[in-house]
Amino acid sequence: MRKFLLSLLICIVVSSSAFAADDVIKVGFFNCLTGQNAFGGQLELEGVQLALKEFPEVLGKKIELVVVDNKSDKVEAANAVTRLINRDKVSVIIGTYGSSLAIAGGEVAEVAKVPVIGTSCTNPLVTQGKRYYFRVCFIDPLQGAGAATYAYKNLGLKKAALLVDVANDYAVGLANFFKQSYTKQGGEIVSDMRYQSGDQDFTAQLTEIISKKPDIVFLPAYFAEGAIVLKQARELGATFRFMGGDAMDNPEMVTLGGDAIEGFLYTGFAYAPDMKDMNPVAKKFTENWNKAFPGKAPNGNAALGYDAFLLAVDAINRAGSADPEKIRDALEKTKDLPTVTGVTTLDSDHNPQKDIGVLEIRNAKKEFVGTVIPE
Amino acid sequence: MIAPVNAGHARRNNILTLCAGAAIALLLWQAPGYIDAYKIRIINLIAINAILGLSLNLIYGMGGMFSLGHAGFMAIGAYVSAILIITPDQKQIMWILDPIAPWVRDMRAPFLASLLAAGIVSAIFGCLVSIPVLRLGGDYLGIATLGFSEIIRILITNLTPITNGPLGLKGIPPHASLLMSYGCLAVMLLCMTRLMRSNFGNVIRAVRDDEVAAKTMGIDTLKTRVLVFTLGCFGGGVGGALMGNLITTIDPKMFMITQTYSLLMIVVVGGLGSITGSVVGAVLVTTMLEWLRFVENPITIGSLNIPGIPGMRMVIFSVLLIAVIIFRREGIMGMREFSWGWLLRDGKRGGTQ
Repeated sequence: MRKFLLSLLICIVVSSSAFAADDVIKVGFFNCLTGQNAFGGQLELEGVQLALKEFPEVLGKKIELVVVDNKSDKVEAANAVTRLINRDKVSVIIGTYGSSLAIAGGEVAEVAKVPVIGTSCTNPLVTQGKRYYFRVCFIDPLQGAGAATYAYKNLGLKKAALLVDVANDYAVGLANFFKQSYTKQGGEIVSDMRYQSGDQDFTAQLTEIISKKPDIVFLPAYFAEGAIVLKQARELGATFRFMGGDAMDNPEMVTLGGDAIEGFLYTGFAYAPDMKDMNPVAKKFTENWNKAFPGKAPNGNAALGYDAFLLAVDAINRAGSADPEKIRDALEKTKDLPTVTGVTTLDSDHNPQKDIGVLEIRNAKKEFVGTVIPE
Repeated sequence: MIAPVNAGHARRNNILTLCAGAAIALLLWQAPGYIDAYKIRIINLIAINAILGLSLNLIYGMGGMFSLGHAGFMAIGAYVSAILIITPDQKQIMWILDPIAPWVRDMRAPFLASLLAAGIVSAIFGCLVSIPVLRLGGDYLGIATLGFSEIIRILITNLTPITNGPLGLKGIPPHASLLMSYGCLAVMLLCMTRLMRSNFGNVIRAVRDDEVAAKTMGIDTLKTRVLVFTLGCFGGGVGGALMGNLITTIDPKMFMITQTYSLLMIVVVGGLGSITGSVVGAVLVTTMLEWLRFVENPITIGSLNIPGIPGMRMVIFSVLLIAVIIFRREGIMGMREFSWGWLLRDGKRGGTQ
């Protein structure tokens, strides 16, 4: 017991002696590195770390990245942001996957007046009415409308069905915005089926959907459940196409879904590692990623992590100081910044106006089909 | 067992309690000027976890009812309080899926009233649930209450016009200041010690220890258990409301079974049936989880560089928990309580009071 206490004491001394010198600029990072959303948070962290390797310095000072886990939990997210601001005294924060976590962290940052750059928190409520929250991802109303436009206009599919996880804020929001846009354009929603996160058997809902004969099914799920749905649909003999959102963009998806995932469409960020006519930033990102993580394909989340870091560096450069308030003002004026997922310009609500990319799984690989302008 | 305390000691103890309370209040009042917002947040979280732990301890430790439904009652409290204190304009903007029900939008109450309402609504639900459910015992009761908690969560997820569905609520005014949380904790502690020292406290223990014997003595055991369960739910509702006010945003996913587990952890680590134990448990669990974060940072010892591993603190935390369970099976405090007599060592040490 005494030995144990002694080793604990050593740990404390070591950890507390790791104080920072004045010649660094601290960038905080809070994300889901453990818990149910860890798959997304990890990829974003890797994206940020890649960008840090490329841009280790700003204003002649070294950038120090402080990483804090939020365990995919709201209380922890609020604690994590408070810790970054008060204990680590960061100038700007990057994070997080999961809009509800971003909302919890954002409330803290708003009071402490430290800017946060969201990575993949796509819910409109995250930046609504907030002075200090920004993001590099598009928002769900835009994405839902983009998916609807692509299905109705580009593919000419007039009858759609929905299969929605009602316990998931992201899925419910996205489905709602898809429905609004699709019916406004003249399409018909023939079936609106629901399930709960964690369900494993979707045959009842799928049988009902098959009987309604839709042309396309909109499935705004996370990739793990989405892959199961696609498998079961193929087993039931469904012939209609499926379309999903950016949460389906994960390298694991193809492994999980196997053959059933062939031909699956989803909206996402205008980036895929194999896309043609890539912008220079994306090219550099892909090259560096392949060097750093050989055998692992980058996805939209990794790209967004990278982009968020670029936005932070750009804002610090323009602010000319590490003062959070000045960085905030600079972030608000972010304009025409070349990033992996397209050129980033923030609007008055702190959301970027980004192209909605459409991707398709062909031959067990995701392919970039094109961009769509939502109606 | 009520420890024999002579009148002089009793008066001295009351004065000491008052002095300690005043000193703590003064410290908390002055704290924001001296320590940073991060520490204040953790200290605040300790109070809220202690309130929740105490309320669960009342049901499980003192009442002997194995309940896994506490997250559900927290959810009710958090939503009732949040809906009452958010302004109608704010609510109007937030409901982006379905339009808000007008009566929900126009509901308003000051914070303290909303806190009381949160407790009362939770208690009503607790009472309604407990009457059929408390006829079960042991594990079956655990399963039934767990089911109830899930029902609450799914109802909140699907009643979009009232609760904003899975999107949850945000922008709850941050009323849960240090003084507010600790004020609630003080009231709770006072009520619980009075309750457990009263004759009704003995009745509760009798029902827990041997229901048949208690019945033979003429105690209406179902009524006693329903009452204890309802009181516990009141505490759960208030705690949930404070939690919502502290993090200023709530959604149904916050109130999953893991929330109940972390409360159960506080109660079991502290000591089942001990009021002091729940407070000690809340302090330990809350601070350890935050303090252990340093193991996830990259550490450099001399030339040895250890990269940070996310999730490492949960591993260490679990090891510590296992150590507590192995070496102190009855929890840190067991069934014992803190008392001035024990601290100043007058007469016999300790006692179950």
